[in-house]
Amino acid sequence: MTGEPLLSVEDLHVRFGTERGLVYAVNGVSFEISAGETLGIVGESGCGKSVTSLAILGILSRNARVTNGRAMFAGRDLLTLNDEQLRSIRGREIAMIFQDPMTSLNPVLTIGRQIREALETHFGMDRGQADLRSTELLDQVGIPSAKLRLKDYPHQFSGGMRQRAMIAIALACEPKLLIADEPTTALDVTIQAQILQLLRDLVSERDTALILITHDLGVVAGMCERVNVMYAGMFMETGSADALFARPRHPYTLGLLQSVPRLDAGRRQQLQPIPGAPRNMLSPPAECPFAPRCRFEVEESRQAVPPLEELESGHHVRCFNPVPAEEWQRTRVGGAA
Amino acid sequence: MSIAELEAREIALEPGQGGLWRDAWRRLRRNPGALIGFTLVGLFVVVALFASVIAPEDPRFGDLSRLGGSCCPGPSFDHWFGVDQQGRDVLSRIVFGARFSLLIGVVSVAVGLSLGLVLGSIAGYMGGIVDGIIMRLTDIMLSIPGLLLAIGIVAMLGPGLFQIMIAVGATQVPIFARLMRGSILAQRENDFVLAARAIGVPRRSILASHILPNAISPVIVQGTLALATAIIDVAGLGFLGLGPQDPSTPEWGTMLTDTTRYLQTAPHLAIIPGVAIIISVLGFNLIGDGLREALDPKLRGRG
Repeated sequence: MTGEPLLSVEDLHVRFGTERGLVYAVNGVSFEISAGETLGIVGESGCGKSVTSLAILGILSRNARVTNGRAMFAGRDLLTLNDEQLRSIRGREIAMIFQDPMTSLNPVLTIGRQIREALETHFGMDRGQADLRSTELLDQVGIPSAKLRLKDYPHQFSGGMRQRAMIAIALACEPKLLIADEPTTALDVTIQAQILQLLRDLVSERDTALILITHDLGVVAGMCERVNVMYAGMFMETGSADALFARPRHPYTLGLLQSVPRLDAGRRQQLQPIPGAPRNMLSPPAECPFAPRCRFEVEESRQAVPPLEELESGHHVRCFNPVPAEEWQRTRVGGAA
Repeated sequence: MSIAELEAREIALEPGQGGLWRDAWRRLRRNPGALIGFTLVGLFVVVALFASVIAPEDPRFGDLSRLGGSCCPGPSFDHWFGVDQQGRDVLSRIVFGARFSLLIGVVSVAVGLSLGLVLGSIAGYMGGIVDGIIMRLTDIMLSIPGLLLAIGIVAMLGPGLFQIMIAVGATQVPIFARLMRGSILAQRENDFVLAARAIGVPRRSILASHILPNAISPVIVQGTLALATAIIDVAGLGFLGLGPQDPSTPEWGTMLTDTTRYLQTAPHLAIIPGVAIIISVLGFNLIGDGLREALDPKLRGRG
């Protein structure tokens, strides 16, 4: 890592007040990201991935409270800024791409109008300048006849084109950090690859830092240098993508890898789903949140939340009984034989 | 030609579909009910605008000699809709009455809609205690029957044309406020609102350019239907004697009141203003129903 990180999140806690009680959505998340780096956050639905990113931008829903933590960005703690101050950062310094391009564009406004909005808000561009820049942006994200398509409405775009338009909006102000929240989940597999390639190109061209949030391990493996595996609002395992996918040490990471079908697996090898359901988030974690579903559970797991410990250099695991380093390779080979 | 170029050409050749409104208009034109509605309302508006050209006589001019000793002569070649108890030409009065009804309908709906829109938007977007207060107030207003509330307001302001417009408008405020609030609440949680917040758009612009345009269509439908209700309410208030105090004013509701005494001998005096009211109300209702279908988001992009 080179010098000062761009964004450094420390011990972030987020709760939601609901009718059934407090939901402990994020319970102590810490990470850093530097310019030009791509960081993956992986986890299943409801584990707090999106909440983490919304908290950084200060656009959580009304019933959410950030109860603890810091998010240092360019010398300022984002979590202490007021809405006015945050507005000058949103879109300008940190931008976000959402999961579903079908619903993330306003159906009654033209694509051009929606790209222009970012430019007008942050740069005070007039109509002509903004139109010129919007055409350029649409062109960069690979939409043909960009100038004509500015006048189109979202329903005239296909899903992939809409996600391209969303990327154009997010990159309009050349932010330093881009958060992509499941950018390809709603798209066809063929389009997914195109969009990921586009993201990768644009991000490396501009030296933009990228946080890629997804539940798709394949996407993370192909895109990210470092990966955080999230479960029940906590990072269970963090490390370089290479180390994490070669030697997963947390039972949850292993479970995720084993539940993905593989072409190189033996014909008879069965998928191993993770038993049980995600943890009910209505109480603060007092034990290892994964313990009830865990094959490697030990007595301590039920008594305290395990700390995030460094097992190898740069590879942290939150577990009292980490999986042996060779376990993943062994089961793959064993199954294939 | 490369594939990309081909694709670009194909896309350029695609017929340009318009936005929400052009889309809705296209569907509206194919709806026979809405077309009838437009015809009726168009007729009504033309009659109202060109009343002084169309009407054969001054609606206030009466000539008792036309009565010929009985009340009242029915339709004849000279007076197509007959003559009323004061010897006035009913056709002329109906034609000028259209002007009053349209004016009253439009003004009272404008009053109700604008106030309701503002209150509903504030309640829906701010939420919390502001929402609570505004919505409880509308609940109170809605718990009083509309016509009764209007009568109460007229009683407070005194009878008269302007006063009944205000009164009828006031009864519409809670309906619009509630509708607008619900519509805003539904739109507020949309992903594109979150996306707009994520690029730093100020709250005011989000409300004005992202939420309102999406939330407005049910209000427009309700507005058209409210025009119909307003015309009926105004006629009702006129019938109860709370309308214009000058008895020679050709207002349809007032005309009905005056003729109750002659129902047995001259039913046309009641039937003709009644039919005029029905036609105008029916027209607005048909348009409103057509609009509701045309603006239905589920049908968007089709047709």
